[in-house]
Amino acid sequence: MDISDNKVLVANRGEIAIRIVQACRKLGVGFVCVYTAEDEHSGHVRLARELGGEKSLYRISSYHDANEILSVADESGATAVHPGYGFFAEDYRFARRVMQRDRGIIFIGPSWRVIRELGDKINTKRLARSLGVPTVPGSDRPIYDELEAEELAYNLFNFQMEQGIKEPLVLIKASAGGGGMGIEEVQDLDLFRSVYRRVRNYAARQFKDEGVLIEQRIRDFNHLEVQILADRNAKSIVHFGTRNCSIQSTGLQKRVEIAPGFDPSSIQYNFDAQKLLDDITGYSLAMAEKVGYDSVGTWEWIVTRDGHPYLMEVNTRIQVENGVSATIARIKGQKGVDLIAEQIRTGLGEPLGYTQADITFEGMGIEYRIIAEDPDNGFSPWVGKIEDFGWKDRPWLGMHTHIPTDQPYDIPTEFDPNLALGIVWGKDIEEVRKNGLEFLDDLRLDGISATGVKMKSNIEFLRRKTPQILKF
Amino acid sequence: MLDISTLLEEIKAAPYVESSIRTPHCGVVQFNEELQPGSKLVGPHGNWREKPGTVLATIDRERCMKNVNALEKGELVSINAGLSGQFVEAGTEIMRVRHFLSREEVLQIILKQALYLFNAPEKAKYYFVPAVDVKVKNTGPKSVSVHDGMELFIISRMKREMPLRYSGPDGVIYAVYFSVNQNLDPGMPLIGVCPPSQVGQIEEVSMRVQTEWPED
Repeated sequence: MDISDNKVLVANRGEIAIRIVQACRKLGVGFVCVYTAEDEHSGHVRLARELGGEKSLYRISSYHDANEILSVADESGATAVHPGYGFFAEDYRFARRVMQRDRGIIFIGPSWRVIRELGDKINTKRLARSLGVPTVPGSDRPIYDELEAEELAYNLFNFQMEQGIKEPLVLIKASAGGGGMGIEEVQDLDLFRSVYRRVRNYAARQFKDEGVLIEQRIRDFNHLEVQILADRNAKSIVHFGTRNCSIQSTGLQKRVEIAPGFDPSSIQYNFDAQKLLDDITGYSLAMAEKVGYDSVGTWEWIVTRDGHPYLMEVNTRIQVENGVSATIARIKGQKGVDLIAEQIRTGLGEPLGYTQADITFEGMGIEYRIIAEDPDNGFSPWVGKIEDFGWKDRPWLGMHTHIPTDQPYDIPTEFDPNLALGIVWGKDIEEVRKNGLEFLDDLRLDGISATGVKMKSNIEFLRRKTPQILKF
Repeated sequence: MLDISTLLEEIKAAPYVESSIRTPHCGVVQFNEELQPGSKLVGPHGNWREKPGTVLATIDRERCMKNVNALEKGELVSINAGLSGQFVEAGTEIMRVRHFLSREEVLQIILKQALYLFNAPEKAKYYFVPAVDVKVKNTGPKSVSVHDGMELFIISRMKREMPLRYSGPDGVIYAVYFSVNQNLDPGMPLIGVCPPSQVGQIEEVSMRVQTEWPED
């Protein structure tokens, strides 16, 4: 069966849904989209109507309802499901059900066994430790018991004191969370219980799972990632380099991503940065090979100021920031790498068709997450109507957004607040910084809330951070 | 001062509401063949409203059959019969029903004018803070006393949460107007608070509705 005989159900929304539809069109593969009432005016709905007509669009009650998504798949004749990121992207039960139901269809993502193995932060740590890959000290499974959590925190505080850390810190993370949501740090053991309860209650409300992870909080670090791609049956596994995602909000949510992860050619580091990048890439590939990884995935790393890497987790899905890796990658010397299209193509059964030796990198990339929020007020989200949104097209700029530019748009409050991703390329760090600032200067974004408050956004924060990229 | 008699007369002049029955999710819809326009419908009933209302239709999605039940006592006005056996999207109108207001609904309409309403300041989901939430669930909202400046709610927008303090007169929570995971627009009421000075009037409203509003 040729891959163009397939129809992909896009089980997601917003900019990722748009990018999946665009990738399907590029590959000559059919698509069908879903949307909820809140997303009626989203760009992905409009695009689906424009490119595929009413039969490529179905209204559902929730992006979290597997029954509805699969009933739409049957009704529309879809042969595959692309989960995007969030929602069902790392749910191995969903992936298994998609494949094993009576009318089995393809899950575009890793096989369910791989998701189960790596998608769980705890299993990932166990696997990493078994391969000698360093991980952050902390719990090996979600904790549901308050006394057990307190004991673990007590041990982690003591462990750090023994290491000579003067101000030990412990991190409490919602185990079912992601995207930096549901994470708080504790610096005083006496406060542990109240913070634990707050995170637990938040996790129960937002993720319907009270489990938390307790970890040592490593301070003064950079957050790096390694982008992996493999075809079905893990016959070929390659990497698409590293990213640096250290510029984050106070709640540890990413705001700027840069590829590659460090720039030893122009910035002085306290350690051998090139060796560090090679090491984490090697570790990531070794783990991918060990589990038979068979799709796109991201290995997330913490790197301390003295150059020690610790594996944080593996994201068994396409990530928001995939485009910044793609913008500096070349396959057999060709620009225009599209990791989502690669994921779909290989997910539908095509072989990778190239090796690591065919992948090269050129220049640097920055991805800016444009968000309606107030960085000066704890990054609190701004809710209202966007009345003006626009940018200047440039040869070095890629813009991904579901926000219409020709009509006002009410920001829904149900979902993550990303409005757009601006991906900027430059031949070196100086040029990419210059292009980044030019893009931000040109960007128009304005609106008003229901109570008359003028729109707030993080554009100024992004501008302030641009000169600091990749500096440790 | 609230004019209960006038309010009751106004409601009696238009005691019906017509509402739309929409599919809660997508799937293949089949109508209850016994129903026709004019058919009488029964809402949830039993001592604890544990018995579901009249089955209006069923929706099959992924071999999970789900009944669409009448939520109120009333009368069927129209059926979108052309959809029978068809795959429908979530939120599709399948019927219209007419319903005679119940005592409880009348009481709530009047209470909304008698109580102090604390409204949602912005579009968001709202939760009680955990300590209040437990109390509301275990012993009912009337067991919760509120005072100006009390941290009472959690506002959740885009998975980010922040506390919200109550502002208004001291009193007890007499009515809760939001549910978990419901998105509220700015200005929609969250709770109705009864200040101590109004307790007599609220009790009178309750008594008048009980005695003056006919219900089978």
